[in-house]
Amino acid sequence: MNDLADAAAAPVAGVEGRATKIKVRDVNFYYNRFHAIKGISMDVPEKQVTAIIGPSGCGKSTLLRMFNRIYAIYPKLEATGEIVLDGENILDPGYSMNRLRSKVGMVFQKPVPFPMTIFENVAYGIRHHEKLSKADMAIRVEQALRSAALWDEVKDKLKQNALGLSGGQQQRLCIARAIALKPEVLLLDEPTSALDPIATSRIEQLVAELKSEYTIVIVTHNMQQAARCSDLTAFMYLGELIESDQTEKIFTKPGKKQTEDYITGRFG
Amino acid sequence: MSTDKEHIIKSYDSELGRLTGEIVRMGELSVTQLEAAIDVMDRRDERAAQRVVGNDEAIDQMEQEISHDVVRLLALRAPMAGDLRNIFAALRIAADIERIGDYAANVAKRSIPLSMLAPVGPSGGLAYLAELAAESVREVLFAYRDRDAERAYKVWKGDVVLDEAYTGYFRQLLTYMMEDPRNITPCTHLLFMAKNIERIGDHATNIAENVWFQVTGEPLDKQRRKGDLTSSPEMTKLGDKPE
Repeated sequence: MNDLADAAAAPVAGVEGRATKIKVRDVNFYYNRFHAIKGISMDVPEKQVTAIIGPSGCGKSTLLRMFNRIYAIYPKLEATGEIVLDGENILDPGYSMNRLRSKVGMVFQKPVPFPMTIFENVAYGIRHHEKLSKADMAIRVEQALRSAALWDEVKDKLKQNALGLSGGQQQRLCIARAIALKPEVLLLDEPTSALDPIATSRIEQLVAELKSEYTIVIVTHNMQQAARCSDLTAFMYLGELIESDQTEKIFTKPGKKQTEDYITGRFG
Repeated sequence: MSTDKEHIIKSYDSELGRLTGEIVRMGELSVTQLEAAIDVMDRRDERAAQRVVGNDEAIDQMEQEISHDVVRLLALRAPMAGDLRNIFAALRIAADIERIGDYAANVAKRSIPLSMLAPVGPSGGLAYLAELAAESVREVLFAYRDRDAERAYKVWKGDVVLDEAYTGYFRQLLTYMMEDPRNITPCTHLLFMAKNIERIGDHATNIAENVWFQVTGEPLDKQRRKGDLTSSPEMTKLGDKPE
């Protein structure tokens, strides 16, 4: 009886047996008057990869951007509902932006290294949050570059300009920059759409390695990518969450016809 | 969850449609082979029996073409969800139909030595078994073509009728053999032929299971009453392996 009542009270999907890192509850988002996110509730499991898929304009990137309140830098944008990270609502204006940014890192579609050396690209963000000795900083930068599977390729040219790296290397540098701050959540917004298949595979392998330490949310247009590297997949359409379930289930036997039509490439 | 909408890429639909058509044609050919096998036995026509045996190659060839098409679809279309289940089921169904073809050819092959012996009474009972098996295969092919899980389920449930008919026929042949040892050779041939036909029914139920999975994404429950009692301890054990 209690189970039934609980199920009715919380219509959200998650990965069984996993702690929830981010609880999204009845979230709405408005760009001026445009209602971009419509009453979404879902659970993001800890130290797992959650993929958000859906056609262009469905609100998947908007939802991702709510997870670190990046929208707050623009006026006239409004979010309602709750996004609870470790028990605290990050949409609450009282939640410190600095604290949020150190807990939630983000990597975008196009790699955007700062126009400075490879070393400084990683060290820059750390300096903003912590005061480290030169030796400690060198260790932190190396750790981040190693975690991003880039160290071996750049260890002899740390003083060179980051813009000289290939696209795939630049994207891994951006991931290194994000994880240098030791975040708990990593948001990836179409991280491989500008990369070739080999660079894409490297990033996907990196995602598989990083999930032992970080909770990862990835927005992707590439359904094969979602199938390959995520544990949970959420399908969004026209600002609504149509279905969110274990990736294997979504790609073999989705529960909703709209999901089936989208992932099998039929008219929406 | 299945869907009736077309793919945005139209050639994908035509390739999937072609796959379904190939399976249905292959299945129809296997039923025709079974009916022909019974016909040549009735007519005691050795040459026609040889032709039926030779025709099995065409079914094997079709299975290879289907395997090729399935590999191609998997590689080039990266199918998902319902499409993936369709393609996966097609591969498995083609393998079942190939076995049905083999069993039909075996029936035809055994009709040759049988035709060289004096006719025995119970040979007419084989046609009834073949009729039941052919009906099952036809029905399950309709179910596959129309993606009709309920119709497939009926075939699956109905296999018990064939199993029971086979058991009855088995007892009848035993009686004949006990009555007169001269009946043993022809009745043993008939027994193997009957077993082949009973196995065709089992493959029809396999196909039904695949149709069910393809449509619903769930396996069909295995709790089925087993109607073939010939392997139970009170019955004499005779070879039941397909040749």
